[in-house]
Amino acid sequence: MAKVGVYVCHCGSNIAGVIDVAAVRDFAETLPDVVIARKDLFMCSDSGQEMVKQDIRNGLVDRVVVAACTPRTHEPIFRAAIEKAGLNKYLFEMANIRDQGSWVHGHDHEGATAKAKKIVASAVGKARYLEPLEDKFVEVTDAALVIGGGIGGISAALELANMGHKTYLVEKRPSIGGVMAQLDKTFPTNDCSACILTPMMVEAYNHPNIETLTYAEVDEVEGYIGNFKAKIRRKQTYVDWSKCTGCGDCAGKCPSKTADEFNAGLSDRRAAYIMFPQAVPKKAVIDMEHCINCAGREIGTLPKINEKTGRPVLAPCERACPAEAINRSLAHDPAGAIQEIEVGAIVVATGYQVMDKGWFKEMAPASPNVITALQLERIISATGPTEGKLLRPSDKEKPHTITFVSCMGSRDEHFHTYCSRFCCMYMIKQARLIKEKYPDMVINMHFIDVRAAGKGYDEYYTGARKMGINFFKGKVGGLEMLPEDKLRVLAYDMESATGIEYQSDLVVLATAVELPPDATALAQKLGLQFCGSHFFRELHPKLGPVETASEGLFLAGCCQGPKDIPDTVAQAKGAAAAAAGPLARGRVRIDPIISEVHTEQCSGCGICVPLCPYHAISMKTYADSPRAQIEMSACKGCGVCTSACPSGAIVLHGYEESQIFAQIEALTA
Amino acid sequence: MEKIGLYLGCNIPLKAPDIEQSFRKIFPVLGIEPVDLQGASCCPAWGTAPSFDLNTWCAISSRNITIAEEQEVDIMTGCNSCFGVLSEAKHFLEDQGRRKTVNASLAAINREFKGTSDVYHVAHVLHRKVGTGKIREKLKYSLDGLKIAVQTGCHALWPTDVYKVREDNPYYPTMLRELCEATGATVPHYSRLEGCCGMGGMRSTDLEKSLGLFREKLLSIKEETDADLIVTTCSSCFLQFDMSQPLLKERGSIDFEPIPTFYYTQLLALAMGFDPGQVAAISQIDRSRIIQDIQSENRLIKEVA
Amino acid sequence: MLIDQNKINEAVTTIIGYGGENIRQCVQCGACSAVCPGVKAGFPLLCRNLIRHLLNGQLEEIIEDSSSWGCQACNRCTEVCPQGVRPQEVVFAFRRYQANQLAFSTSSITSQMNLFETGHAVYLDPKAARKKVGLPQETPTSAFDDKARKEIQTLINNSPMGELGLF
Repeated sequence: MAKVGVYVCHCGSNIAGVIDVAAVRDFAETLPDVVIARKDLFMCSDSGQEMVKQDIRNGLVDRVVVAACTPRTHEPIFRAAIEKAGLNKYLFEMANIRDQGSWVHGHDHEGATAKAKKIVASAVGKARYLEPLEDKFVEVTDAALVIGGGIGGISAALELANMGHKTYLVEKRPSIGGVMAQLDKTFPTNDCSACILTPMMVEAYNHPNIETLTYAEVDEVEGYIGNFKAKIRRKQTYVDWSKCTGCGDCAGKCPSKTADEFNAGLSDRRAAYIMFPQAVPKKAVIDMEHCINCAGREIGTLPKINEKTGRPVLAPCERACPAEAINRSLAHDPAGAIQEIEVGAIVVATGYQVMDKGWFKEMAPASPNVITALQLERIISATGPTEGKLLRPSDKEKPHTITFVSCMGSRDEHFHTYCSRFCCMYMIKQARLIKEKYPDMVINMHFIDVRAAGKGYDEYYTGARKMGINFFKGKVGGLEMLPEDKLRVLAYDMESATGIEYQSDLVVLATAVELPPDATALAQKLGLQFCGSHFFRELHPKLGPVETASEGLFLAGCCQGPKDIPDTVAQAKGAAAAAAGPLARGRVRIDPIISEVHTEQCSGCGICVPLCPYHAISMKTYADSPRAQIEMSACKGCGVCTSACPSGAIVLHGYEESQIFAQIEALTA
Repeated sequence: MEKIGLYLGCNIPLKAPDIEQSFRKIFPVLGIEPVDLQGASCCPAWGTAPSFDLNTWCAISSRNITIAEEQEVDIMTGCNSCFGVLSEAKHFLEDQGRRKTVNASLAAINREFKGTSDVYHVAHVLHRKVGTGKIREKLKYSLDGLKIAVQTGCHALWPTDVYKVREDNPYYPTMLRELCEATGATVPHYSRLEGCCGMGGMRSTDLEKSLGLFREKLLSIKEETDADLIVTTCSSCFLQFDMSQPLLKERGSIDFEPIPTFYYTQLLALAMGFDPGQVAAISQIDRSRIIQDIQSENRLIKEVA
Repeated sequence: MLIDQNKINEAVTTIIGYGGENIRQCVQCGACSAVCPGVKAGFPLLCRNLIRHLLNGQLEEIIEDSSSWGCQACNRCTEVCPQGVRPQEVVFAFRRYQANQLAFSTSSITSQMNLFETGHAVYLDPKAARKKVGLPQETPTSAFDDKARKEIQTLINNSPMGELGLF
């Protein structure tokens, strides 16, 4: 016979403002097996919890029902409280009479009170049949995986490594560095981006605890917190990196061209290429998709022999390489190779892309002198397509008037309704850098609002005004194409309520930040969710910014939402700290609210196996026949197998049949 | 032959019936039979019912559409304003609540709007249903060597979410350009191509402002293209170009001769060999010289033996 | 200018009632005004600026302004607006408010009368011109169709336009 204690909470006026708490308490006393029914203003307070603990210590109750708010936030508090008082913490049931009671039936006090009584009766019904359960623990692999080698990934990896944890840093491009490596300078200090980034890149690459895998992608991830198994695909470079010295001679001789992604499409690179001069690692890669197999040098074939000289006819890349790192006769597997790793925690820091100008039909996207801000960044970078000289793409002449347009694709219901957060600042940065170098340049900036919220940011903005850069409040509505590839800007000055029209030589669009298309495939592999703006979803928008709904999986940087470099680094370090938690503790708790197969009752039909969304069930032989077995660390307690089993052989602890039937009986009484 | 209802509006049948005649001449040759919508009225114009009450607008517009529904044909119209008014009304009537209210008004005159007829612009029919290939086949004269500045007008382009046929990029429209190029002429781009000509409500509210806007457009055409003629698919734009160029010249606001302006189907009718006295007879700007050029012997397209 | 919430509410409710449903979504970015031919031509109270005045509750104060009648309904504003306001519908909603208060120019009355009497807002005798170009002198439209004209008059008389006492 259970001894059930029922505790009804006023929750200030949250519950009591609608529900007659005293009446609910009175009703609870009449329920079977209820030995004590109490009420309190705030059950979660010290005094409220003490009330429960005292009843347990006095031996009055051995099952606890709290009728209050939501178990989502408060179940752990009460479980901890009763455990402290010496009762198994799973002998606790919560009746949610707030979210499902007072909050939704605010206009019907009588109805809400009647419903609250029913909810309490249901909870009591279940509580009578609750069984004690024990937490289980599994060992943790002391290693971490960081996906994405931009400033976020590098920061997270360094934090983890410095804490003493082995860290794998996986980056899909040939070099780490991310978008920050494409920048010229960073606001608000105007630090040279490469100068502050490359020391971190080098430190990460050389760190004894970090294994950097570039030109690599995550193929598959299995497992759960503390015990992840990942397959990393080392993509085929067609260059022997153990020999490659990064001299770049192969790129110098390769005849095949394609758009250079690092220069945002403003120039070409070769099929054999090194990503950029400060690449880490500085190794060449042959992009087979654009390789034209010159001299007929298909991969994995022997070279033809020149009839006159008797020497083999090699491809230019093979001939150029002084380190003999390129050998096209080898049977390179185009699929690359798989490296299997085991880690305890994963940090996702895969970054972002900017929208292409082609989406904005009213902004004359066909004109070569309409460019995105990232393209402008490459133009003014010393390592860019014009070696840092500000020249118009159409005729390589110096512009005299430059226009900056904000909010292209951001704050726009046609594309993305969110604000991309750092565009105002980088537009001001680019304008300041250009004005410093070319004081006579006419620079017109058109904003809806200027968002300069960080440290030193507003001063940076007002400083730009002082330099003589023109600011206009009003979104540019369109561009018209003039002769000589100039643009007529159709704008509006809201502050004086007048239309604006002028000729510009170069128009820079601040296009919206978004996730790249391969983010969907990655999310499916890892079990990540998307939020409404199509960034990876964090656990809680306020209080859980680095965690996700999957334990052991963390987020850092722009893949979780647009943010600037200081915020990215802060979040990355936070993600690293959170990821290190289970690694440092050495073990993780497995929730006992999971399903278990009663092997003798299992008929071996196998219906449950494909139904499990977590692939937790497999067939194992027991007494000469196959029976289902559930891997407890993979099971999430969803209950699908439990309800599907035709033999009733599976029990979901914490949601057992007797408990559920008691609830149904109470609710339908 | 495909039958399509010919919705005339006001200006075309009353002020510029030569444009109407050009429709009636060219479409049968191109495989489309224009069907009269007997009793059709004003669309109604933007300055009338649409400026008073949304449901009244929808009632008068849908009355016109029901005339086509009764004959089980779609509608094509040559006036951009009419096209905009009718298309938007049809779009509003997708809201079932509004459709009920408007059909209650139509019941008083024994009509019911069903939404079974689509609304096209004459330019859409020519570009998408007939096609530039067929147009080329039926030409008698080639306009090779002539430079045309095109005026698409406003309502055929925006708002894109309401129209059945749309440009790929309304800020850089190509349909009218392609239709003109089918005659052999060249159609250079000019920066203010998608700009408004200033006709319509603007002109009746404030002539000076309308002329100011129009002058900017005209200068963009003259300075950037030095076109031989201007071709439009909007009857309102046609009237603006035809009336206001001489007006500006009179005032000394422009120092060049007004550029002859045609509605596209007039140009096509001329290129197909129809009588200018029927298809291109009414204009303030003298078009006789260019018409003579278009229908001259050296422009005849020789049959390939 | 005082901020009078009652006036603001009245202005917004009036505009929404006449069809400018999304007026509150405007964030005053100005993209509409940048492409509006009316603004370009010099009409002061269109698009963004008109919405600003309306959201300030200035309904009666601006009722005599003729800018709204310069709107071409071209919908460039609708196309570029990032917040889905459909500014052209707000301008027309304001026009409807003006029209129903008889605050429109007398020249516009001619159009309404033409519409009522002939079914065409613009009317002139076409017979000579039509004969010249080889068409039947009478148009197949309501101008020469009694039944059609009666239908249109019924529609107008049964509508708010009929209540204005113009016909």
